[in-house]
Amino acid sequence: MATSHAHEGGCLCGALRYRFEGPPPRANLCHCHSCRLATGAPVVAFVDLAPGQFAWTKGKATYFASSPGVRRGFCNTCGTALTYEAQDMPNEVHVLSATLDDPSLFPPTEEFFAQECIPWVHVRLQAQEGQP
Amino acid sequence: MGQETFEGGCLCGAIRYRVQAPATWSNLCFCRDCRRATGTPAVAFARFHRDRFALLAGSPARFRSSASVTRAFCDTCGTSLFVEGAHLGADIVVAVATLDAPENFPVAMNVRTGQRIPWMHPLPGLAEWSGDGDKPRP
Repeated sequence: MATSHAHEGGCLCGALRYRFEGPPPRANLCHCHSCRLATGAPVVAFVDLAPGQFAWTKGKATYFASSPGVRRGFCNTCGTALTYEAQDMPNEVHVLSATLDDPSLFPPTEEFFAQECIPWVHVRLQAQEGQP
Repeated sequence: MGQETFEGGCLCGAIRYRVQAPATWSNLCFCRDCRRATGTPAVAFARFHRDRFALLAGSPARFRSSASVTRAFCDTCGTSLFVEGAHLGADIVVAVATLDAPENFPVAMNVRTGQRIPWMHPLPGLAEWSGDGDKPRP
């Protein structure tokens, strides 16, 4: 099964690389204003990783505290947004799944902050289509 | 949309800009470079003539992602803001999600859908360009 081994990803320029072991417990989409503005994109996809699953393997992320207790990791060479961490979810790393070398692996199955969605953004989730 | 002006900026507020409607074109791009540059499954863009764009505050960092494309972002908070390139002339392409009111700029097309992540579907009801062959006129 493809999700039983390590998965790798990184930024556009290659300065930052990461890996995680095993399948993520959750994959989701976020429509919130902060995530949209942090990336410059209308919707953001995440995989939520359990403690100890995630490690940087190359480079050093730059962090921005987007709200109290929250930090977002990005590459200050190319601008790619990569991670979201919050103190109220300790030791959990939320990775922007479009930065995976194979971003097809973990289709989002939940949507967060749908009430903040840009009105013209109509996203269909795999789960809504009856697909695995 | 008339000649109204709209403002936008990055997450931390260091970079602010203003554009004057209407945009020359707008689209939702699914290509690998745009996805990787932002860390997201698709990026919405609107193109403006340079005389319809003004940088109001800050100085974005730039990264050249290919021979002809330069991407501007905030190196304090990471927000991707603009795309510039020889194929755009002096025009600037703005990441629509960085506008204060992105609801005013619905995209007109899905582009480079041939590179999309399979679970990220094109927006329904819009023209689509896979990235192969001639691009339809928006």
